[in-house]
Amino acid sequence: MALYHNQPMAHAQEPTAAPIEHRFNPYSDNGGSILAIAGTDFSVIAGDTRQSEGYNIQTRYARKVWQLTDKAVLATNGFAADGNNFVKRVKQRLEWYEHAHHKPMGLKSIARMIQTMLYGKRFFPYYVYNILGGIEEDGSGAVYSFDPVGSYEREACRAAGAAQSLIQPFLDNQIYFKNQQPEPGSQPFIPGNLPLATVLSLVVDSFTSATERHIEVGDGMEIYIVMARDRTTDDLLGEGKLQKGMEIEELGTLGEGQGERTFLVRQALKRD
Amino acid sequence: MFLTRSEYDRGVNTFSPEGRLFQVEYAMEAIKLGSTTVGITTPEGVILAVEKRVPSPLLESSSIEKIMEIDSHIGTAMSGLTADARTMVEHARVTSQMHNFTYDEKIGVESCTQAVCDLALRFGESVEDDDALMSRPFGVALLIAGIDEKGPQLYHTDPSGTFVRYDAKAIGSGSDAAQQSLQDAFHKQMTLMEAHSLALKVLKQVMEEKLDENNVQLAQVTKEKGFEILGENELKAVIETLAAA
Repeated sequence: MALYHNQPMAHAQEPTAAPIEHRFNPYSDNGGSILAIAGTDFSVIAGDTRQSEGYNIQTRYARKVWQLTDKAVLATNGFAADGNNFVKRVKQRLEWYEHAHHKPMGLKSIARMIQTMLYGKRFFPYYVYNILGGIEEDGSGAVYSFDPVGSYEREACRAAGAAQSLIQPFLDNQIYFKNQQPEPGSQPFIPGNLPLATVLSLVVDSFTSATERHIEVGDGMEIYIVMARDRTTDDLLGEGKLQKGMEIEELGTLGEGQGERTFLVRQALKRD
Repeated sequence: MFLTRSEYDRGVNTFSPEGRLFQVEYAMEAIKLGSTTVGITTPEGVILAVEKRVPSPLLESSSIEKIMEIDSHIGTAMSGLTADARTMVEHARVTSQMHNFTYDEKIGVESCTQAVCDLALRFGESVEDDDALMSRPFGVALLIAGIDEKGPQLYHTDPSGTFVRYDAKAIGSGSDAAQQSLQDAFHKQMTLMEAHSLALKVLKQVMEEKLDENNVQLAQVTKEKGFEILGENELKAVIETLAAA
């Protein structure tokens, strides 16, 4: 009888402990992944094109990577609506800056401005992880990564988004040579010096692997390559340099142009 | 004068039928009463020189401040109602710090000058819940000297909010004669030392008192060291070269 010490259905009569509240959640996570890798005189910024919410794919082609200037490309990931709006505002600020100062904004200035824009919404943040890639004033390839409230850092590479946890360890190993030992007597590893061909195949491998293992990654991939002025493009445009199924186009200059060139490579990813 | 300028020089923002703003024109007159100020651009940097009027031997001449730092790479020299310049320099300093904070780079000399000039026409009768405007135009002209990626530059601003870039410029009471001397002696390949000497030579011509280290001030903006006001010993050295020549 001890088992039935309490009436079996007693809880059904009890009033609920608290009133039911319905709260509006302004944020959503639209999946996908982005990454960027810096070379000595180029920078590669890539993202997939799937946009999803939960198990539903909203579109198989949504842009996440944006050309900002002749030497800067921005990738956004997280809440797509915030990302699109943020890019729109960044572009507007770039235009205002050019009107006020009669020159295009440099990469490190864009990075700092993005910090102030993100931190300006510290208490209602853009739910967006940004990665900025491009060519610095000195001609070197650069990658800047941000958190949603504007903490930022210049790095040799960075992955963000749904498959960050899959891709970043791979890049740590391949770009930063983590857990690798140089052969005795050989040169020490220096991150950020890999040739473009190597970097491109790392990008492709990152996304095809992430597509296999993560449901929110897939459909297609866009890779932006920003090249420093006077740099050869043979290693990208030369015969047989691109992998099968890749399409390449050169994006025209946005301003007066100081010789930097931006290319866009598209490749299909699995759609399942 | 009263016949032609009556009524239309009362309201600070009222155009006369001929299309003139008398209060702004009067403000320009205030500058012609100010002490002479000279700026010269050279390939090495820009120099600024001002005459400090010392009306009494009891006056501590070091307390007269007519050359001020705006940022580490921009400085300014003034002529006219120098108290008005404090508002403008304050605004220029805040603007250049804000620029550095937001864009992680030094502000351009032209952008800084533009920021100062944006202030110039914010005077007039304020409307309710308008931000309090200034009651009258600034009575001061500035020579803004600086170096940025475009190289050494010198700008002249006046109370109308106009700014113009110069290789060499003189403002203030002796400006007419001084500008003529600058025009005769200036050349594009001047060294910094030649510019210092020329500036003092020009000031010497137009000053009533005998020029010494107490009644002039010299400053320079160079790529290497940015803005600096020359110390007493450096100033004395330049004055000596002047006497020797």
